[in-house]
Order: sequence, then C-alpha cells, then structure tokens
Amino acid sequence: MTGHLKSWPIVLALSILSAPLVLMYVYLFIDTFTNAPPGSFIPNEFTLEHWTFLWHTPPGRLSIWRVTLNSLMFATSTATLVVVVSSMAGYVLSRLNVPARGFFLAGVMVLHAFPAITLIVAIFLVLQIVGLYNTLIGVILVKAAIDMPLGIWLMKGFYDTVPWEIEMAGIQDGASRFTVWRKLVLPQVKPGIFALGLFAFLLGWGEFILPQVLAPSGNAQVLSVYLAALIADDNNFDMALFKSVGLFYIAPVLILFFFFQSYLMNIYGGGSKG
Amino acid sequence: MRILLDKFSKSFGDVRVIEDMTLEINDGEMLALLGPSGCGKSTTLFAICGIHKVTGGRILFGDRDMTGVPSQERNVGVVFQSYALYPHMTVAENIAFPLRIRKLPEAEVKRQMEEMANLVHIEALLDRRPAELSGGQQQRVALARALVRRPNVLLLDEPLANLDAKLRLEMRSEIRRIQLETGITAILVTHDQVEAMSMCDRIAIMNAGEIIQIATPQEMYRNPRTAFVAGFLGNPPIAFIDAVASNGTLTVKDADIRLPVPPNTETPPDGTPVIVGIRPENLGRDGDAPIRGRISFVETQGRENLYDLTLANGSVLRSIQRESDDVSLNDEVEWRVRSDQLFLFAQNGERL
Amino acid sequence: MNASRDIAQDGSAPFKARAVPARRSLGWLNSSKGLGIVLLMPALMLVVLFFLAPVVLTAVFAFTNMSTATGITGGAYQVSPGTLRVLSDRYGMGELAERLGQPTYIVDEEGLAALEEMGIEPGIIAGLRDDHLGETYSSRREFEREIRDLPDRPSTRTVKQISAEFSRSLANARFRNAGALVAAAEAIDPDLGDAEKDALLDATYTGWTWTTDNFRRLASSPQTTRVLLNTVFFVALTLTLFNTGFAMLLAITTHYIPERPAGIFRIIWFLPRISPAVIYVLLWKWLAWDTGFISAFLDNFGVRPRNWMLGSATNAWVFVILINGFVGASMGMVIFASAIKAIPQSLFHAASVDGAYRWQQVRHIILPHLKWPILFVTCYQTLSLLTAIDHILLSTDGGPGGATEVWSLWVYHTALNNYAGNLQYGYGAAMALVLVIIGVVLSLIYLRLFNYNALIIKPRIEH
Repeated sequence: MTGHLKSWPIVLALSILSAPLVLMYVYLFIDTFTNAPPGSFIPNEFTLEHWTFLWHTPPGRLSIWRVTLNSLMFATSTATLVVVVSSMAGYVLSRLNVPARGFFLAGVMVLHAFPAITLIVAIFLVLQIVGLYNTLIGVILVKAAIDMPLGIWLMKGFYDTVPWEIEMAGIQDGASRFTVWRKLVLPQVKPGIFALGLFAFLLGWGEFILPQVLAPSGNAQVLSVYLAALIADDNNFDMALFKSVGLFYIAPVLILFFFFQSYLMNIYGGGSKG
Repeated sequence: MRILLDKFSKSFGDVRVIEDMTLEINDGEMLALLGPSGCGKSTTLFAICGIHKVTGGRILFGDRDMTGVPSQERNVGVVFQSYALYPHMTVAENIAFPLRIRKLPEAEVKRQMEEMANLVHIEALLDRRPAELSGGQQQRVALARALVRRPNVLLLDEPLANLDAKLRLEMRSEIRRIQLETGITAILVTHDQVEAMSMCDRIAIMNAGEIIQIATPQEMYRNPRTAFVAGFLGNPPIAFIDAVASNGTLTVKDADIRLPVPPNTETPPDGTPVIVGIRPENLGRDGDAPIRGRISFVETQGRENLYDLTLANGSVLRSIQRESDDVSLNDEVEWRVRSDQLFLFAQNGERL
Repeated sequence: MNASRDIAQDGSAPFKARAVPARRSLGWLNSSKGLGIVLLMPALMLVVLFFLAPVVLTAVFAFTNMSTATGITGGAYQVSPGTLRVLSDRYGMGELAERLGQPTYIVDEEGLAALEEMGIEPGIIAGLRDDHLGETYSSRREFEREIRDLPDRPSTRTVKQISAEFSRSLANARFRNAGALVAAAEAIDPDLGDAEKDALLDATYTGWTWTTDNFRRLASSPQTTRVLLNTVFFVALTLTLFNTGFAMLLAITTHYIPERPAGIFRIIWFLPRISPAVIYVLLWKWLAWDTGFISAFLDNFGVRPRNWMLGSATNAWVFVILINGFVGASMGMVIFASAIKAIPQSLFHAASVDGAYRWQQVRHIILPHLKWPILFVTCYQTLSLLTAIDHILLSTDGGPGGATEVWSLWVYHTALNNYAGNLQYGYGAAMALVLVIIGVVLSLIYLRLFNYNALIIKPRIEH
C-alpha cells in the first residue's frame, strides 16, 4: 500500500523529531553511572557514587527501601482493588439483567470521562476528617476509586467477548449464576485481568499528585513524592543523584513495558483518557 | 419424560415471537423443530431450558409445571451449535462438571464420567482440552456433558451446523444411536430438513412462530398440510405452478396443459385459482398426465439427472430421472406426471 | 415429585435409573438481580465515597470560609485579648469588652452549691449566703478580704478555694459551644442584649462559617481572568499542536514506513506516557536548567548559561506545552494508528492506481477516516488537559511569576499547598467547583455524542 515510495526521508524526519526524547532517556542511563568534566556532556569516568543512596540514608529522610516498599504496597494494593472491583462490576454490566442496567452503564461512561482530580480538595478534607490523611490506606482507596471506572469499562469489554453459550451451558449444567461467573467465565478473561492489573499497577507506581496531597510525609511516603522532595530541596542539588533515584524508580516501568507493550498500548489507546 | 408446551407465548419487548403454541413431546421420542431461521424454534428451545422467561402459558415436564422453575433445577441437557465446551477444562473436567456441581462423591463422578465417555466413544481424549479436538470430537464431548447427569430431556440446537459434510453424516447417526441407547426424550432444533427427516421420530415444522404441522417424516413428506411444508421438505425441492380449475380439470394458463384433479381431493369450483405442487421424482416418463416444455437446464448428479422444464408460460418444473442421454438441453419434450402424486393448494397455501 | 423418580418411571435402560436430582441453589446468588447487586456493591460504595460525596462536598465546602486558620472540624469560642479588641473595634462594643475582660467574682447559688460539694464547713456557706449573695467584686483581693471577715474565719487555703469557685471571668476562657459562652457572659452581665450576644459569638468563634464570599471574590479577582486565559491558551494550544496535530503526524508517518522502525518510533513516543511524571519532568529540567544540556551546548557558541525553562514567560509556556504535549501525543497516536489500520486496503490500492501520491492519500483517504477518532481524542483530552496538574506543577509550578498558572494549579496552590502556609480550603473548593461543573457537563455531553445506547445489548439469559 505504501507503493514504491521511499521511506527513508520519513524515517529521517521522525528521527530528528524524536532526538530530544532519545537524548533525555539515553542520558538518564549515562549520567547515573558516569562523571563528566564540568560544562561537558561527554563522560570521562565510570562511577557508582551516585548510587550510594541505596545503602546510605541521608538524615531526615526515609530509607529508599522503606519508600520503595511503600510504593510497591501502594501500586499492588490499588491494582488488586481495581481488578477485584472491576471484574465484579464489569461482569454485571456485561451480562446480568439488573434493574437500571442502562443507567449504570451510562454512569460508568460518565465517570470514566469525568476528571476525578478536580475532587481532590473535597477528598483531602474528607480524609482529614475521617483520619485517613497521611496514611497509605487512604490514598490507596482514593487511587483505586479513581482508576475503577476505566477498569470496569475494560473488564466489561473483556466479558463481552466470552460466548453466551458458555454461560447458558453452565446454568443448564446446574451451576448458579455465581458459580458460572466464578468457575466458567472468570477463567476466560484471565488475560484481560492480567492486562488490567499490570496497567493499574503502573498507574499506581507513577502516581504523584494523590500521594503528594493526601500522604505527603511521614511513613507513607512513596517514591514519586520522595524523588520530588529530593529535587525540590534547594540545599542539595545533585542532578546525578536525582537521575539515579529516578532510574531506580522508572526501571520496573521500563521492564514491564518492554515485555508487555502490546497489552499496554492497547489499553492506553482504547480505554485511557490520558 | 413427556414434555408439554401448553399455550406457550413469548415476546421480546413489543415483538411477539410465539403466540399460544401447544406442543407435546412423548416420552423417549426424538422430535425435530424444523423451520427457517427466525421462525421461533430456538426461542422455543430456550424457553424449555429456562434461559428465556415465558410470556404466557405453561411448560410441563411430566406432570410438573416448570414454567417458573430456574434452569438449574429443570435438569435439561443442551447441546449448543457452538458446543460451548469450557475451554479451560479438559474433556474429563467438562463432562464431570455437572456432577461436581451436584457435589457427588469423587469416585462416583469419575465412574459416571467414564461411563458416559465410553457411550460417546471419546475414552482416549479425556485429558485433552477442547481446542485440541476436531469438530466431531467436540460434539461428542458436548453430548456426553449434556447426558452425564441423566437429564429429563435433551435439547440439540443445530448440533450439526458447524461440521463438514462427511462428519455431519457420521454424527447424524451417532446422535440417533446415543438417543436410542439412552432412551432419552430429545428435541432437535434444525433448519435442515434432511437432518430432521433422518434423525427424528416426528417433525414439528414451524413458520413465523407457529407450528404448521406435526407428523412423522414420512407422513409429512407424503401429505403436507400447506405449500410451505411441501416446499420445505424434499431435495431437490418441489415445484409449484399456477392453474385454474375448470370442468373438473386444472388448466395451466398459456401453457396448453391440463392436469386432472388428484384423487382424494375435492374438485374445486370452476374458475378457482389453485397452486399445483409437483415433486421432481413424480415428473418423468411414467404417469397419466402429459406436460410439454423445453429443457432449460440439465445437472448431472451421476446416478441421476436433474432437469429444469420450462413451460410455455415461463413456469419452471423440476424433474429427477435416472441418468440417460436421450434428451439434452433445449429439447422440446412431453413428459408425464402421476396425477395421484399431485398436491393441490389454495392461493393462501392451504392444502385442498 | 422429583427428577429421579420421573426418570425411574420412564422405564427402559439402566441409564435412567440413577438420575441425579438437581440441587437447589442459593437464591440470591442465582438470580441476575441478586448476584448483580452483590457484585456491584463494592463499585457502588467506591463511587459514593469517592465520586458522589466529594462532588457534593466540593459544593458544600465552596460555601464556607474553611482554611488552615479555621480548621475543618468546626471550632470553639475563644475569648482572648484579640477577640475583645475585635468586639470593641468592629462592633463598637468597647464597654462590653471591658466588662467581660475584667476579673469578676459573683456570689451566686451555683458557687454555693459547689462549695457544699467540696465539703466546706456549712457555717461558712451560710455566712456567705446571708451576707453576700448577689454581690459582685471586680478584684480578687477585695473578695477574699470579705471572705476572711466572715464569722467562721476560714483558713487562707480555704479562702483561695472559695474565691476560685466564684470566679466568673471570661478572659482567656474557651467554650465548646455557644450556649456555654452566653451563659458565662450572662453571669457577668445579666442584661446582655441579643445584638451584644451575637457580636460576642461572632467575635470569639474560631471555626469556619457559611459564606458566599468565595464566589464574590472569584468573580472580582483580577487573577481569575488571568488564570482563565492561561488555561484556555494552554488547553487550546496543547490540544491542537500535540494531542491531535502531532499525534496525527506520528500515526500517519509511522503508517508509511516499514513495521520495524515504525514500532521503534511508537515505543519512543510512548516513553513520556508510561514514565512517572516526576522522573519525566526531571529529564526536561536536565535539558533546560542553567547547568543543563541546552545551556552547556549553547555555551560553545557563546550564549550565557541560564535557566531556559523559567527564563521568561514565553520559554515557560514553550516547555509546559512541550512537556504536556509529548505525553498527550501518544494517546492520539495509538488511536489514530489503529483507525488508519482499519481502513480497507482496497482503498489504498485504488488510490495508487489513480496515481494519487501520498499527500492525496492522506487528504482524501486517511483524514476522512479519522474524523471520529479526532473528535473522540479532542473530547477526552480537553477534559484531561483542563484538569492536568502533575506536569506543570513539577516543571514550572505556575512560574515565572504566575505566567503559567492554570486553573487546576491555582486550586492546588490555594487549597492544598502554598508557601504562605494558609490554605484556603473554602476558596479552593469554590474554584474546584467550577472545574467539577465543567467536568460533569462535558462528560454528559460526550455520553450523548458517542451514543452509548448502541452499547447496551440486552442480556440473553433472562433470569
């Protein structure tokens, strides 16, 4: 379909456009392992000194491992919550004859389009009132709730592809609707559940504004807030350190993306609102 | 078990699909629900197994009213067109599923599962997954799963539609064998008259939500109640021509053909327009009524030839005859039809 | 009758004799309705807690003057020199303020009862009641002298105990509710008028109150116009240049090159989206800061190093739009690319037979097919850009000098985080309410636009 037209001019143009991005990400790696003479960007020595943050905790900060653990707990908990809640609700919207089903479907679509971040002031105050401010649990619940409409929408889509006959056969075989869902339908959407879980994990791992507002300090600090605080600290400017912490932070994302990019691109394209 | 649909009606929203249908299936009988797509036969099947709620009337299994009973308690075995095997389970697990749902002891589950696998001849496939099976094998697994819990009735929804021609022939007799061996009451939903005729004890032929005729295959073929039934059964199909009754005979307009009124049929009053149905096997060299026309199409089928005979008024009749080479395309011929094999229908399709 | 007997009666083959009766299953888990409601419950709870309630509360908070100073859980009534000054300055009740501020001792039945409870000698109590009931003293010394002069001659310790029980001063007292404050004030001055009571309550209340000032302030503040214009400028430019324009360029160009390089470019342009905002913005800072790449590079050509991101308002906007645009481009890229892929190949072949060149293909085949995807991306990204905050917050933080302050960031700075430390929750909620209303209205419009009715298919199992 591209005919006999040459593609190299396009490749060249795209390469030039992409150069700044490539440069930024390549130097993210280079700068964490090397030193360069002042005013130059060509490294002249290999070093691991920027990685000392892994075993040396500066006074007044949490240990990087504690923060990483928080991030892991935050991301896995939100992902689990999103997957569990969405795989339940998505099934209802896809298959069950509930009252006001159309209303629920429309509701999910509206919630999906609605920018939940605008509610952050109210959520901030509510968490303060109920005492969940500055706790991981509070911010996990909020994050899961915000990601949930997308999750329900995606899961509904996955369920829609399961043949009705499987469910019909199940109830004829004597299984209750619950058993049909649990034993017969859920196994069919495993790939979807995996994709959604991965996606929700990455969203949680990268989330900044919610923990920044709802759990900014204390023992609930996550990597994004930790790194932002490090960068914002005027007394301690060290770009190589920032980048090392940053690389430490982004590495799981890059690895997961590398292995599961087709899954993720579909979700980002099909369901995410960006 | 005897199944009775008593004045059963079903609508979807404002659309009435079936109204006041009454149908009785005898114990141990295999009945075909035959009809074109959209005639309501699948709707009827779904109502029997409880997937659809009925809008009116009753459904009885034996003497028990099942109308409001959920599917799970009706104990109906269903084989779906797509087989609907559980893809994540092995063949053994698929067959055992209905038993495990009923919390039978594991030893009993295994015994009954194997017994059923033997019955449908899939003993060697028990550890495979559905995706590793051929269409015919999947069909057998679906049958085993439907039968393993000794259902009150077995429903087969277009079970052969997804098979290729050769397998279809094989499974046709297999399903019938299994049905006869188990003695189970069965309902076969199909749009294929060959399946219905070859597999079933009786046929209920449906059109537009109504049962037109219920009879044994033979009776239905020989004695169709309407033109629709006559047209649905038989391959190659029956041909119809318009005629007018006059002086105790039937005149085909503009074709110089006069046909006698078949015996056992009341002679219609003069001037009544009628439809005459002639099956291809009844038009040929033997018979008592001559029909002239031009051979407009010849199809060689090996043992037999199929001819299209175009009459002077443009109507086309079909004839199937033993293979011979004494006539060829575009020949003008005078063939004969057996008047006792003619069907006479009124303009509205009712048999006269 | 049960199933097994039915089948047994049917006679023939041994097959039938061992029929298994169907088990009765749990009712609620078996009907669509019951199971549906159970499975929906967690989602509904999250929606109520974190969507519906916050929407309502945003509106509620918008009508309060909540701030760090007032606290959020309601307040108390605190009489302090400051509040008494407010009473005299704002309400012109200097005389009342003075009276309330005075130390005052009143001999009343309440105090006498307290003394009885403490086990003070009945003689002393009787003496106080007989000689001094209803008297008021404005100094402790004077009052204690009177006590000492009582016939029973209490000890010094007892005198102190007694005088403390009759102290009715308001100075520096804290009351949990309005009733307690009024009661105490009336004890000092029984003739307190309603106006005076109200003024006292107003002046001493430390919690938040209901008000519509937030909206008046929002409507009259010159900053509102500026932030509003910034927001429109930011959304419009990012949306047209990157989220649709550049995304389309990426989708179309990668369509015309071999699959391998196309895949690589798609991955590269996906990096900004999958990268956590903090690290992604850090990379831009590395590029733009005065010790960063651009400065160092331009240094070779004699340009003085400087902070390119915050150097001027124009620069800041360029970076803000680039940073957000690079993230936004990927969504459009994926959606447009799959839309292009869905165009029937035959159209392309027909076009090349007609001798159409690429540009004609793009104009007459690809672009018409992208109409709906473009509308979709525009709708969704308008909302997300309107409320975007992470990347601007982390890069310019609205600077320099408020040049890149957009509405959502303004909310953040007003209610959630600022250098002054006084967070104005109520005012911020009023600003957020504007976005919430826009969000609700636009999402409802999108629902109409994308015809969700087509998505509703009736369940095929009816019970």
